[in-house]
Amino acid sequence: MYKETKSSKAVKWFLIGVSVLFVVLMLLLPLITVITEAFKQGFAVYEKAVTDNYTVKAFWLTLEATALAVVINTVFGLSAAWSLTKFHFRGKKILTTLIDLPVTVSPIIAGLIFLLTFGRQSPIFPLLQDWDVKIVFAVPGIVLATIFVTFPFISRELIPVLEARGNDEEEAAALMGAKGFTIFRKITFPHIKWAFLYGVVLCAARAMGEFGAVSVISGHLRGKTNTLPLHVEILFNEFQYVPAFAVASILVLLAIFILIARSLIEYNGKKKNKVEP
Amino acid sequence: MKRTNRSVIPGFGLTTGITLAILSIVVLIPLASLVVFTAHMSLDEIVATITRDRVLSSFRVSFVTAFVASLINAVMGVVLAWVLVKYSFPLKRLIDGMIELPFALPTAVAGIALTTLTADTGLVGGFFAKFGVKIAFTQAGITVALVFIGIPFVVRAVQPVLEKLDPAYEEAAGVLGASRSRIFWKIVFPEIVPAALTGFGLAFGRCLGEYGSVVFIAGNKPFETEIVPLIIMSELQEYDYASATTIALVMLVASFVTLFLVNLIQTRNTRILKGGA
Amino acid sequence: MYVELKNINKHFGNFKASDNVSFGIEKGKLIGLLGPSGSGKTTILRMIAGLETPDNGDIIIDGKVINNVPASKRGIGFVFQSYALFRYMTVFENIAFGLRVLKKSDSEIKDRVAELVKLIGLDGLENRYPSQLSGGQRQRVAFARALAPNPQLLLLDEPFAAIDAKVRQELRHWLKEMIAKLGVTSIFVTHDQDEAIEVADEIIIMNKGRIDQIGKPLDVYSTPKTAFVASFFGQPSIFKDYSKFRRFDAVEGAEQTIVRPEFVKVTKKTEVQKFKNSAEEGVVTDVAFRGSGIELSVLVNGVTLTARRGFDEPSVSVGEKVDVFIYRIFVTAGDNAYLLENKSLREPVVVI
Ligand SMILES: Nc1ncnc2c1ncn2[C@@H]1O[C@H](COP(=O)(O)OP(=O)(O)O)[C@@H](O)[C@H]1O
Ligand SMILES: [Mg+2]
Repeated sequence: MYKETKSSKAVKWFLIGVSVLFVVLMLLLPLITVITEAFKQGFAVYEKAVTDNYTVKAFWLTLEATALAVVINTVFGLSAAWSLTKFHFRGKKILTTLIDLPVTVSPIIAGLIFLLTFGRQSPIFPLLQDWDVKIVFAVPGIVLATIFVTFPFISRELIPVLEARGNDEEEAAALMGAKGFTIFRKITFPHIKWAFLYGVVLCAARAMGEFGAVSVISGHLRGKTNTLPLHVEILFNEFQYVPAFAVASILVLLAIFILIARSLIEYNGKKKNKVEP
Repeated sequence: MKRTNRSVIPGFGLTTGITLAILSIVVLIPLASLVVFTAHMSLDEIVATITRDRVLSSFRVSFVTAFVASLINAVMGVVLAWVLVKYSFPLKRLIDGMIELPFALPTAVAGIALTTLTADTGLVGGFFAKFGVKIAFTQAGITVALVFIGIPFVVRAVQPVLEKLDPAYEEAAGVLGASRSRIFWKIVFPEIVPAALTGFGLAFGRCLGEYGSVVFIAGNKPFETEIVPLIIMSELQEYDYASATTIALVMLVASFVTLFLVNLIQTRNTRILKGGA
Repeated sequence: MYVELKNINKHFGNFKASDNVSFGIEKGKLIGLLGPSGSGKTTILRMIAGLETPDNGDIIIDGKVINNVPASKRGIGFVFQSYALFRYMTVFENIAFGLRVLKKSDSEIKDRVAELVKLIGLDGLENRYPSQLSGGQRQRVAFARALAPNPQLLLLDEPFAAIDAKVRQELRHWLKEMIAKLGVTSIFVTHDQDEAIEVADEIIIMNKGRIDQIGKPLDVYSTPKTAFVASFFGQPSIFKDYSKFRRFDAVEGAEQTIVRPEFVKVTKKTEVQKFKNSAEEGVVTDVAFRGSGIELSVLVNGVTLTARRGFDEPSVSVGEKVDVFIYRIFVTAGDNAYLLENKSLREPVVVI
């Protein structure tokens, strides 16, 4: 960079000022609000809200849905990435587009389509009833909706990394007779480790916070189909502001944890890339 | 699906099979049910549903607020990206990490926090109330929530472009005697525009469908602060699945068109990124 | 023949990458597959290895058609152009990989890897990662990795392309020695004529997916069979009409005339030369110093030819009038190339 002039310095600090103001007002202040509101009536009230039976149940349901979404999307993401980057076949472009589709669908619509597929007006509803399977207004529906909204999160982190690398190493290993799983574990996975973790973190973040889609499909049965975000909504709408923010603070904590994990993964991934030729 | 050329790398059948199976169950069949459901209805019914005044006005509110919010984000996103790439200042890393907050923080939490902040009794809302400006429960409030949701899209789209921008390029122009502002407008700006447009499109698409952060701050007054996802939700609560589905379908088409346009810009963009630098 | 390709065709979409390719290779030979970039060399190598499938035609190794034998069962070692070393494995693990797949015992693996590491002269570097090696070292590791399971056939795709000029020279000799010592039948791909001539026992020349000529380096060089081969070697000057150079026979349907620098003798007016009186007069248009001598451009009969002179000869300068004698030329007609000798060489020399 060449020399800074006086006016360019003024521009610099003006832009930094605007940016900092924006970040503080738009991002930091809401975060602080959650914490201050949560502790408005002291720690005892906070503790009571957080350890409330419904809150604990909602917490475990959120964790369950998140874990399942991560697992399914991991299986899907690894399979899709392998299939799409290691082989040429017809329909590959369409497949790629279809995988990305869910993120463009409004969460409300994401919930709605599962309502239509498995709900009372669905052609397969009688069948589900015969088998005694409840999907809508039950945990499976919540899990399905959560998987849907986070669908491409892992595969889209993996595919560019694999694509950029080419298939030489895998071909070399296959030529020597290595089996598919060995190739994946020993050759491919070390390359995508950080991208994969990154995808998992993004997936988990979105999954635990998903609100719209889950809201449509859950039926809001307290203690049964209530996730943490839904529980926050119910408390807030009942004007129980302090408990609402107390529960929200759990989610804030998880969000901060995720942001830190994300930074660490990104940092490690970058460092690793430098070692490579 | 058939491979056009046999590959030595194993696992084609397995991974493609898993990919297609999960894709079908989670995405294709549910999305298809939306189309199947609307196919039962006559065109007149569909037109009658979406031309109801309340529905039309919700589309207007949705598009206007999403557009304004994305415009604000396009400008602020470029400023933030510029500041984060070109300058160094204290706490820069922290601010860079904070940008990701809207991805990590559950939308419902953001929603209640922003509502509390911008209500007349809140920190920010109270300040504006002195001048007779209301934020929460108005379209301004919706816009605020959407700015929160959309900001990372623009920043993360512009940042890599600025990082790739060869400093030698700017320096060369500097040596040739071009003034700073001239360099910016003639050389840097044209490079940023496509990236900013991409970010704008992504943010716009996300904002159109956003529910969680908006539902609290909107106040949901019909004809004023009712956005499309909200009207779908209220139709569902009245068990009017036909209306909900019809509106959803129109909405879906709108977001696909947005995505398509974004993809067009992005393709052009990557070509420039790969070819240029 | 140990390796044989019979009428191999291969398309990528509408593009014909291999056009009726047939050739045979004897056991123990080191073969250079030579051709310009994009001529389909890698495709041939990948089909032999089983990484690509030919549209039709047979690939025969050791008397058996192996078209339907999976790549991993063909007993072929392959050195990729990019080396394709496993970046997250050490040198040791890279070389050991093929042996581990074969479920060899740990002690066997240790011995074999140690032997190979010694062979490639990388003792002490077993625990390095590929990123900690130089280009030449990586190339050697790739070579050792391919050799570890004792392949009967070794395929090398542009083994020296990614290595800088100085090391390349060394590696060529090293590789030639290594392969001679091990006696493994090998095919290496290159687009560098010097490399093919120096290293290979036999050269296969490819052009646009077809085989143009097969033969010993010297034969291919001195008696090119096709127009392409004639123009591919050396730094030829190519022009259309050679009728102004009177001392060459006419060829029916001649299209191009190819003159290599070593066919051209340039002498100063003051120098003595055997065929002085049948030389043509030319003007020096450029003088360039190369590592091995001086390279001249001379304008003769309206054609610019490249010629060489040694450092020990009297220097010529740009604009100087000189005598130019051409020993031989290649003339192409259609796909064929003809070697024409200067008739003066056959006439009794009259010294004035
Ligand atoms: N997998 C492929 N798909 C499409 N075209 C290919 C593929 N592999 C090679 N080609 C084309 O075939 C031609 C020959 O390629 P290659 O055998 O790699 O040539 P060489 O190794 O002689 O440079 C090139 O024009 C290349 O573009
Ligand atoms: Mg090649």
